[in-house]
Amino acid sequence: MLRSMAFLLCGSIALTAVAQDAKPTTVLGGIDNPCGVAVQAATGHIFIAAHSGVWRLDPKSGKAHAEIAGFPTDIYGKGPKYNIGPLGLAFWDDEHLIVGDGSRPDGDELVRIYKVGKDAPHADHPPIKEDAAVATLGPIKASEETAKGEGNFYGVASNGKSIFITCNGDDTKGWIAKSTAANGKPGALKLSVATKVATEVDAPVPVIFSLDGKDLVVGQMGEVSTPPGDSLLSIYDPETGKLKKNYKTGLNDIAGLAYSPKTKKLYATDYSWSDPKAGGLFRLDIDGDSIKAVKIASLDKPTACAFDKNGVLYVAVFGTVAEGSDKPAGALVKFDSGL
Amino acid sequence: MKFSPRFSFAVLFGLSLVASVAFSADPPLGLPSVPVPSNNPMTAEKISLGKQLYFDGRLSADNKVSCASCHDPAKGFSNGDQFATGVEGKKGGRNSPTVINTAYGALQFWDGRAKTLEDQALGPIQNPIEMNMTLDAVIKKLNGIEGYKTQFKKVFGTDGVTSDVIAKAIAAYERTVISGNAPYDKFKAGDTKALSEAAQRGQKLFFGKAHCSACHAGPNFSDNSFHNIGVGMGKKDFDKGRADISKLAGDTGAFKTPTLREIAKSGPYFHDGSVKTLEEVVDHYAKGGIPNEWLDEEIFNIKIAPTEKADLVKFMTEGLSSLDYPDHKAPELPK
Ligand code: HEC
Ligand code: HEC
Repeated sequence: MLRSMAFLLCGSIALTAVAQDAKPTTVLGGIDNPCGVAVQAATGHIFIAAHSGVWRLDPKSGKAHAEIAGFPTDIYGKGPKYNIGPLGLAFWDDEHLIVGDGSRPDGDELVRIYKVGKDAPHADHPPIKEDAAVATLGPIKASEETAKGEGNFYGVASNGKSIFITCNGDDTKGWIAKSTAANGKPGALKLSVATKVATEVDAPVPVIFSLDGKDLVVGQMGEVSTPPGDSLLSIYDPETGKLKKNYKTGLNDIAGLAYSPKTKKLYATDYSWSDPKAGGLFRLDIDGDSIKAVKIASLDKPTACAFDKNGVLYVAVFGTVAEGSDKPAGALVKFDSGL
Repeated sequence: MKFSPRFSFAVLFGLSLVASVAFSADPPLGLPSVPVPSNNPMTAEKISLGKQLYFDGRLSADNKVSCASCHDPAKGFSNGDQFATGVEGKKGGRNSPTVINTAYGALQFWDGRAKTLEDQALGPIQNPIEMNMTLDAVIKKLNGIEGYKTQFKKVFGTDGVTSDVIAKAIAAYERTVISGNAPYDKFKAGDTKALSEAAQRGQKLFFGKAHCSACHAGPNFSDNSFHNIGVGMGKKDFDKGRADISKLAGDTGAFKTPTLREIAKSGPYFHDGSVKTLEEVVDHYAKGGIPNEWLDEEIFNIKIAPTEKADLVKFMTEGLSSLDYPDHKAPELPK
């Protein structure tokens, strides 16, 4: 079923791209609510987490196939409502992909690590089953620290030693969970940084390491309905969990973050839930204690983003389902190197 | 002005030779500076003028209803009734929210339909069940009061009163209706004696198991957002709240998260004034609100013992009531 899903290649997806100096091209269309993107360094393959599972795209051939499937479905929002499945993606090492889940109720959700290999073994074989992971972290059950248990593991960052996962289940603390490796194996998933206590703003969403690996860089989405411009960029010490810097970005809902490997510049996507027209790709220019967000292109509800090693930026977008249609409107778009 | 020690005024002379007074205020402990729009700077004279207007019943059709009738300093800047009572005793369908710290709000009204205090101020004057005036009528009335005319000229340089400057003066006054430096703030700043044991236990619940800080967060205990917490639901003609403005189905029955500062004084509670005491408010949350399809994810049955409920209430009443309550009195009104 999943594998017969029709993909539009370089099709004309309805993007509201009024590029200022960069124009996105659609790499893959017809994806249902993509929320995670990761690039496999060794192969250049792009992994995309969507409601239907995790997909693998070889940008050279343009071919995509289901890599991991069989996730349950959860619903995000109360109208508009979105079906969601796996959310955050990051590589643990060359061959292992970490998947943060959003397909279960809070308190039951899991972070799983799958062996995806390098030579796309599932291109001509059934996808990996959701529960056939090499390691499973979580769930994080209700406790003193979290009244209803954690879940909606949207962002994943890993340096091969520690894994950081943003949690969007419990809105009182805005937890980032952490797993520390011992003997080459990821350790138990523990609540680590209470971002809302540190910043007084809700919802840590994207998380990445700085280019030198010394900082944990977090996009704080804030409230989706209002107020506008409440999204933060926060820098934490990955060892101690201490907040080092906190910037107001003026963006509405930061959903993705990535550093360009070529220019070292930082980029963010703004989903802009209550005002999608304002959403898009932004460059974040840090100047002392302030940030200037420069709009690079408008995009229709962008989520995760990731650079490949050549400086090509891949961005997942939700898009807007045409009225009366049941066809997924999501897409993976790319910005050619130069950013 | 009671708070004058904290405010300092510096007179600056612009090239236009019109004196304007720069306003700088040290916010009370626990609060950031009050945001002031650049086109409506704060001056002592403007605040004083706005205060007179706020307390003046002549802004209404029957000369009896002022802003303070429904936002009374003696009643937590609300009015103590379930619904607001306007001219000729007419009642609306929503509870008067407090004006305290509303200067920190990103949007005004229960449904956020006004963006700024300036946008908000002219609404009640014209609302048929509140003050029931046309703007023309108010302007005419105020122009006929010499004391107002001279003040408006002095403050805004206008020859007569206009709706724009009425709104600006009232908004400037509202930006001085601030409450901070509460026991909660002192405790947070390191004064371990500022809160009783019970209030400390309540604080821990508030920011933990009872889940209140999922929405009542930040210095003003509001995320400035809208949530359906299961109030007034289950009726056929329930108030749709934010959804009428945003047109998003997900906002159905969602209302703005109110501040909880000075909450002990501003009951009854909720947008429909349906709950009289803070004990009942806590019971509402413990049950998880009235079930409905738009209920916020952060509202659910919380397991909390009767003594814990009492602690939670203690945190709100003791911890969030400031000794520096803005206990403003009606000023002398111009003739
Ligand atoms: C008849 C009673 C009444 C009068 C008079 C009245 N108000 Fe209100 N006020 C209300 C009610 C009720 C609401 C909430 C309405 C809503 O949200 O739809 C409100 C809302 C507000 C708010 C928004 C607060 C918040 O938290 O969002 C402000 C500010 C305010 N009023 C200021 C004023 C000013 C200034 C005046 C005088 C010009 C005034 N009011 C006159 C009843 C009144
Ligand atoms: C999901 C967000 C959310 C959570 C969680 C939440 N509140 Fe509220 N609170 C609101 C909103 C929104 C309102 C106004 C709702 C309405 O009137 O329909 C409100 C209203 C109130 C009021 C009445 C204020 C007034 O001026 O009328 C009190 C008191 C209060 N909350 C206390 C609490 C306490 C105590 C907790 C924890 C047990 C809590 N809240 C948890 C969002 C929340």
